[in-house]
Amino acid sequence: MTNPLTEQFSAPLTFNWALSYSCNFACSHCYSREEQCDELGTAELKQIIDRIAAHQVPFINFGGGEPLMRKDLFEITAYARQQGLNVSMNSNGWLLDRAAAEQIKASGFRSVGISIDSAEAALHDDFRNRPGSFLRAVAALDALAEAGVRSTMSSVISRINHKSFRDLLDLAREHRVSQVYLHNFKCSGRGFKNREDLDLTPQEWKDFYLVALQVKQETKDLLISFDDPVIASLPGYEENPLVKGSSCGKLSLNLRPNGDITPCGFIPLVVGNILTDDFEEIWYNSPTLNKMRNKEAKGKCQGCNVYEDCLGGCTARAFATTGDLSDPDPHCWK
Amino acid sequence: MKRLQRNPDIVWRVEKRRQQAVIDRLAAGEESGDEGTVILLISGMMHQLNLLGGMIWAQCDGSRTLAQIVTQLQAEFDVETALLQADVQEFIDDLIERGWLSYDQSTD
Repeated sequence: MTNPLTEQFSAPLTFNWALSYSCNFACSHCYSREEQCDELGTAELKQIIDRIAAHQVPFINFGGGEPLMRKDLFEITAYARQQGLNVSMNSNGWLLDRAAAEQIKASGFRSVGISIDSAEAALHDDFRNRPGSFLRAVAALDALAEAGVRSTMSSVISRINHKSFRDLLDLAREHRVSQVYLHNFKCSGRGFKNREDLDLTPQEWKDFYLVALQVKQETKDLLISFDDPVIASLPGYEENPLVKGSSCGKLSLNLRPNGDITPCGFIPLVVGNILTDDFEEIWYNSPTLNKMRNKEAKGKCQGCNVYEDCLGGCTARAFATTGDLSDPDPHCWK
Repeated sequence: MKRLQRNPDIVWRVEKRRQQAVIDRLAAGEESGDEGTVILLISGMMHQLNLLGGMIWAQCDGSRTLAQIVTQLQAEFDVETALLQADVQEFIDDLIERGWLSYDQSTD
């Protein structure tokens, strides 16, 4: 089947890669706390890197789980750099002291994102279920800056921070962060269980994004990024994304610790295994990926005048709440 | 020796299937158009280079001069040397202006 996306891209641009689901935290919104999966050894991880490099995927981003729980993280990263890959990771910062920052620098990380969800220490610690985690996260940002590593800050927008997100931007400035990601809330794993307490209503999401887009326009000293396709219809949205709708399965894929490939970390549909299956067969012919690339408007999306821009919003959220990849994003306010 | 060097901050790749499709169309005497065969990712934006541009770009690895690149391309394209030289020069000047390429002036 001819597909405009795969005619343009012979592989994703990014593999988001959970080396392990082990974590020293148990955050309120985490998708992966109940995930169980075999982990691969260092040699197999290097085989995966060889395959990723062979398919010219330029970026890998380690997540999980906490990437720094893997003892071979720096060895794997240095190997990936040797193969020409650009490596980043998202960390909670707990294990990222000055010595770790130096190793991060030496192994060749392009950037490191630290998760901080509130500029108020107590709120962050409560959300992350770990006393002292705010101070360690902020110290991690400072350690990265001292080591000369580009840092970013990842903040999941939820009920605890949607009205005070400007404080997060100020915090980022204070700690020499170059970019802040204001992530949309995903209803997966603990995020699904806790969504009554944490998720916003569709109208609250609209209100948040209207303000946040304006702040983004006015902000010159800090990059502010969103990853939510549902905002495509809003005034002030001036991004020119490479693809419309969710980028999962189009520009990015997700790797589980055993090498299984899913469209994204929040959609637990395995489309193949990078070590045992033919990657091109997966990329070009996976029915799941092609369904995500060719969504059909369902429910209230049918006849909606912005569907061509948002393509139904976040596919992961739709799937988590209804089990159908093509259903409307439950965050949509229209 | 002024060798041409890509900006190392630019992430790029050859889209091999599309490149082959364009080459096949050219071989069949069809118009190839300006279809992109190499993608460049620069500051979150994607740019594309057509077949000739992509071939030039791929060779700008710091080991070749402009003249050497033209010589290599001459084997691929059946065009007059002076015309090819002018096209390559114009393309490279544009990319140097954008900061995507530079001359490595180091000596052997």
